[in-house]
Amino acid sequence: MIVSDLSLGYFEESILEDISFKVQSHLCVLGDNGSGKSTLARALCGLLHYKGSIKIDNQELANIPSKERAKLISYIPSKMESFEQFTTVEDFVLLGRYPYKESFKDYTKEDKELVARTLQELGISELNRHTLHELSSGQQQLTLIAQALSGESKLLIFDEPTANLDPKNTALFVQEFKKLRQNYQTILITHDIQLASYFNDPVLFIQDAKAELFETDFFNTQKLTQAYGINFKKEDTLIGISYE
Amino acid sequence: MSKLLLWTSLILITLLSPFAGTVILDYNSLFESGSLSQRIFLELRLPRILLAFAVGGTLALAGLLFQTLFRNSLMTPFTLGVSGGAVLGAGVAIKLGLTLILGISAVSLFGFMGALFTVILLILLSRYLKRAEQESLLLLGIALSFFYTSALMVIFYLSSFTETATIMRFTMGSLSIVGYESVIISSAIALVLLGVLWLKRFELQILAISDEQASLKGINTTRLSYLFLIITSLAIGIIVSLTGPIGFIGLIIPHMIRRIYKRSVSKLIFPVFLLGGFFLLACDTLARYLSSGSEIPIGVITALIGGPFFIYLIISKQK
Repeated sequence: MIVSDLSLGYFEESILEDISFKVQSHLCVLGDNGSGKSTLARALCGLLHYKGSIKIDNQELANIPSKERAKLISYIPSKMESFEQFTTVEDFVLLGRYPYKESFKDYTKEDKELVARTLQELGISELNRHTLHELSSGQQQLTLIAQALSGESKLLIFDEPTANLDPKNTALFVQEFKKLRQNYQTILITHDIQLASYFNDPVLFIQDAKAELFETDFFNTQKLTQAYGINFKKEDTLIGISYE
Repeated sequence: MSKLLLWTSLILITLLSPFAGTVILDYNSLFESGSLSQRIFLELRLPRILLAFAVGGTLALAGLLFQTLFRNSLMTPFTLGVSGGAVLGAGVAIKLGLTLILGISAVSLFGFMGALFTVILLILLSRYLKRAEQESLLLLGIALSFFYTSALMVIFYLSSFTETATIMRFTMGSLSIVGYESVIISSAIALVLLGVLWLKRFELQILAISDEQASLKGINTTRLSYLFLIITSLAIGIIVSLTGPIGFIGLIIPHMIRRIYKRSVSKLIFPVFLLGGFFLLACDTLARYLSSGSEIPIGVITALIGGPFFIYLIISKQK
């Protein structure tokens, strides 16, 4: 994915201006609350009108038909949102196959088998008949990931995946995320400095509608302090989750 | 078990239905061609049963669709004033003495215009609401309903005694027909609504989960919502102009089906349609059993059953 001179805004209000970056394999997006990270994510999924250029596989995102676009990019929101009370995990994950489904027809046997395999790989097969509302936050996160994986896209965009997770589920998420990184390109949007520094990917730091790309070396106290405007320190006495 | 009981009793009522009414049919002469009983059966009772079924099913489906699109079980064409708009439109056509416009029934056309006008108005007004203020849309609908009622009062005020009586009878709702014209029209509109929902059931399922999910999967949510809203306006407008407003079906039936089946919306389309049809038929059968001489309007029956039932639903949900 290659982004150049991207500007985004709602109505007259400008949210992001002239952003350029490339996603080679993995990218981490950092920035303050309300700095426009989620807006960027929505734009990269093709949900917003934009100025500038977003190219994926050498095609301009805005020119890709919406179903084809859905096959290329998967978005994993931080929280499961469902207004429908009785959607089961299986039904929900099956929606990942929607862009591949023929109009008016039911999902095929292959679709359903793929979903079953994906649930198995993520270790949540036994949840397939449960409704979304019965799941814990960690299980909801895995279900969202399962849906994204069943879509077989190359690029996965994670929007604050650990924001609603307890330490145990965070550790579980990181294990899954590590495995996924071997087969998929990822964009990780997060506030979790520990998580971000662990993977040490190139960082896109967003502030005041501008973005700066740090290919390497972002995660040292000096850079972080400079970027966020608060003090960072590195001490052995601080406790964090072990991701090993 | 409760499912079996429900459907069996509804089918039994359907079988008994032709024999309810002021004239008691004679079984023996039912199959004699040209007999009075047979004529009553074929020209009055049977069309009425078919009409009740198509109308009930359509109203229930329209309710399900509105509840899904607006994500609130109180949002139905009836509560949002869409039926009210259709009634007003039809009332205007009756007052003006219009019968046919371009070969289409003027009452139906005005009914559809009234329904469509209301839906467009709601869409435009809802743009001024924030996402979290969905409930305000309900208040807008209620405000519109009051407005329409008052406007209808003005028409009453301006009308002659006979016009007033016609419009008044119309607003109470009635399934009393002779022959098959209304049956054909209402069945056609029921099939169109059922067909569109069936073909778009997977899109509806995603839309029911969230707009975001639908957009991410490549669905044009705005276009899809408009398609659903226009089809529903058409259905409501035409149905209301045929039978007058019949309330509560769109509210209660999807509620009941959700409680019984506990499935996602794409799997509720046929059960909602069937229960809506059977329910209105049962109400109409009851109306015919109870009536002696002049008939109790069907809208009155559905509201009398629907009101308390709905209160029960809301209270039992709290436990």
